[in-house]
Amino acid sequence: MSWNRVAVVGAGLIKFGELFEQSYEQMAAGAYRAALAGVDKGMDPAAIEACIVATQRGTLWGQEGVGGNTVPSALGLAGIPCTRVENACPSGSDAFRIGAMVVASGVHDVVLVIGVEKMRDKSTQEGLLARAAAGHPLYNRGETAPVLFAPFATRHMHEFGTTPEMLAAVAVKNHHNGCLDPYAHFQNEVTVEQVLASPPVCRPLRLLDCCPQTDGAAALVLTTAARAHEFTDRPVYVAGFGVATDHPYLHEKHTYVGLPATVEAARRAYAMAGLGPQDMDMAEVHDCFTITEILDIEDLGFVEKGKGGYACLDGETALDGRIPVNPSGGLLAKGHPIGATGVAQLAECFWQLREEAGERQVAIRRGNALQHNVGGRGSGVSVVTVLTRNPS
Amino acid sequence: MTEPPVTPVNLLAVGCAAPALRLPAAEVAAVWGGPARGSVAVCDADEDSLTLAWQAAVDALGAAGTDASAIDGLWWGTSRPPFADGPSHAFLATALGIGRESGGVLVSGSPHAGMEAVGAAWDALAAGHARVALVVVSDAQVPGVGTAGEAGTGAGAVAVVLARDELAGGPGDDLPAARLVCRATRTVPVVDRYRGDGRLATGDVYDQRLFRDEVFLPLLAEAAEAAAGAAPASGGEAASGGRAAPDGGGRPARWAVGDPDGKLAGALARRLGATSADPVRAVLGDTGAAAPWMAALPLLATPDDSPLGVVGYGGGRATAVHVVVHRPVPGATGALARLGRLGTAAGTPDGTLAPARTITYVEAVKVRGQLQPMTEPIPMGVPPGGAAFVRGNVEMLALLGAQCAACGTISTPPSVHPACTGCGGADLHTVRLARSGTVQTFVVNQTMPPPFQAPLPLVVVDLDDGARLMVQGAPVDADTLAVGDRVELLLRRYALERDVPVYGYKAFRVSVPQVGSGTPGSVPAVQEVGR
Repeated sequence: MSWNRVAVVGAGLIKFGELFEQSYEQMAAGAYRAALAGVDKGMDPAAIEACIVATQRGTLWGQEGVGGNTVPSALGLAGIPCTRVENACPSGSDAFRIGAMVVASGVHDVVLVIGVEKMRDKSTQEGLLARAAAGHPLYNRGETAPVLFAPFATRHMHEFGTTPEMLAAVAVKNHHNGCLDPYAHFQNEVTVEQVLASPPVCRPLRLLDCCPQTDGAAALVLTTAARAHEFTDRPVYVAGFGVATDHPYLHEKHTYVGLPATVEAARRAYAMAGLGPQDMDMAEVHDCFTITEILDIEDLGFVEKGKGGYACLDGETALDGRIPVNPSGGLLAKGHPIGATGVAQLAECFWQLREEAGERQVAIRRGNALQHNVGGRGSGVSVVTVLTRNPS
Repeated sequence: MTEPPVTPVNLLAVGCAAPALRLPAAEVAAVWGGPARGSVAVCDADEDSLTLAWQAAVDALGAAGTDASAIDGLWWGTSRPPFADGPSHAFLATALGIGRESGGVLVSGSPHAGMEAVGAAWDALAAGHARVALVVVSDAQVPGVGTAGEAGTGAGAVAVVLARDELAGGPGDDLPAARLVCRATRTVPVVDRYRGDGRLATGDVYDQRLFRDEVFLPLLAEAAEAAAGAAPASGGEAASGGRAAPDGGGRPARWAVGDPDGKLAGALARRLGATSADPVRAVLGDTGAAAPWMAALPLLATPDDSPLGVVGYGGGRATAVHVVVHRPVPGATGALARLGRLGTAAGTPDGTLAPARTITYVEAVKVRGQLQPMTEPIPMGVPPGGAAFVRGNVEMLALLGAQCAACGTISTPPSVHPACTGCGGADLHTVRLARSGTVQTFVVNQTMPPPFQAPLPLVVVDLDDGARLMVQGAPVDADTLAVGDRVELLLRRYALERDVPVYGYKAFRVSVPQVGSGTPGSVPAVQEVGR
């Protein structure tokens, strides 16, 4: 029996990319208006009672003190309560979870969840790469974002015989899907040969094993299951969610072939939803790097541990495969504007379950979709959400 | 002049270190002219006088079979402390594990600092203010580009463990391996090589003939002869060249001389009626404050009835020390072997020296800091003066972990782990981590902002004590590192951050499980430890 107390009734994205011409506020407003326009029966902005905003790294935008209080004004909603959520790469997913709990609590009936991230207002070297000089003053010096995941590729290859070609297969699939997603940052196919010939970024990962740095925003409108039909005849319900943490530093992992936080978050989400991996029609998972998608589909229970690379190579995760993964193009092709990422993944699940995804639509047989977002210094936090179109 | 009486002290063990790079003199000659023979040792970008001193001291402590807890202080002589004015001594003492209680001194000012550090430690032992002293002499001078000294300026470090006369060292040994029996110092105010305040490099505008004939040879000869006069007994026999008295008196038959230009030591030896061969000088160049003791290494490995004379010069001062070698000094043979695997095959008279990485002139001026990019480095998140840096620096230098009293798990580093990562327990005590381990997994980072330079391996190491760390690896290992490789953690300079040297450990690959370093007669089966 799924939880199903909260429903999504509208979703909106702006096209992801290097949006040099747009401000943080303009991106937020764009996603908000798109979400409102996506409510089938329309919604008066005055119905929105509260907002949860996810922005992971306000410093990248240049405003050190970015907070929830700055967003409603940009949306024309000045006056409503708004709180910023920061929880590493899953900030957007966690904002959604908190928004759902706010609605379920009965305090607010209609809540806007919005994720916004300005990645490209700072130069690449000042941006994520600046992590190389951050954190503990001495340990982990030289640690850029790919350093957080490449050690898993090294070890996965060592233990399971995963190959660079298997990693490349993930990039090829997700770039293909991105071509079918009008919101995706990248809209170009890549070949295995191109991936393997791209420059090494953090061995064993190459450039095309890595997601881009992307500006973007995404928004979702949540309400109670009871009121959902005021806004749409086809609501999508929150069947369950789970969050789990792990030790934060990379050297504290008990395994380098999986992410325990993802395993635990999935266990909690599946239990809450009363569903399992076999019940999912598709999944949007965190593929910041190709190896991450391989770890994810194993940790989420879609394939046996160690078989993730083989499954990608065999097409099991393609749009027409046994379990389509990242039909939106994923972080690799759609982009990874951190605070917006999880919200955008949930928007994709919403559209897929409503069978509105156009050329990239997957077959919906059981009516359930899974969304997964992982991050933190050493993948120390993971969020899994299960959505369903089936009323309980 | 009559030398004041000197109380002998015992020399228990020795260690040494040399940097990773070799610059052939031909590279310098191709740019500036001059002689094209031999090579010098040059510090890599992550090495300096402090990292060399650390390595030599670790070797010496290993050879002495003691740990830092037995050491009463650190006496360090170098003309190049990493901070001209700052916490050099405190950083090194902490890295060696003799941090908070450490006595001793840092002597600088000229290459004579090495002899002065030995003398200061000796005096503290003789006065009873210390029982066991760790003395490190190290240097990594930066020669001015185009100077006469450029093709001869090297780098290296020697460490010795000295003890009061009643502490012989090895268990059951009544007789120490060696004793320092007498010394003398002579002074004259002259300018030869020099470095003004605020200057990066050492200049050498002076009259070399004048220096040789009027300063170096007479001053060192006088100090050498005077030391013999200060011997505790049999001083009258010093000039006879006869057999030494049992207490170590007598005239040295062997001399180890710090040699600024590769020719002066030989000239001095001739004047003293002896010969001088310094195979280490031929490969490493002038190691500054370390030079006399570098030259002494092969001689400390060989007992002799007559004393060994060690003579060093710098800044208008010369000191001679007589050392009686009763049996091979622990660590001396291992130290030579260590230099062997770091040295270069070129110009090695005795064949003990093996290949190291040879660099071009451009690489040399770059690693010496004389060729700088105009890029803006990305500053560290935590400035070196900040509280978070102070916390992190102590636990990195001393290589500390937090061990759980309940389950034994070691969590690293302690400052971010008030609770055990194994069981969540809060009863933790600080431990020093093992410095050897096995590669659990790793990456090679190719894309970083300045000041980082690719390729930079980052290695998750399972240490032999069960702790785990992620640290930088050695660029030289980038192409060949593999899961399961054995590695050793060595102190290196991570960066100059806002002009402040920042130190930490790096994982260097070793070919097989390592043998205890510095053990006499055993050559550690280690490859490429210093690149």
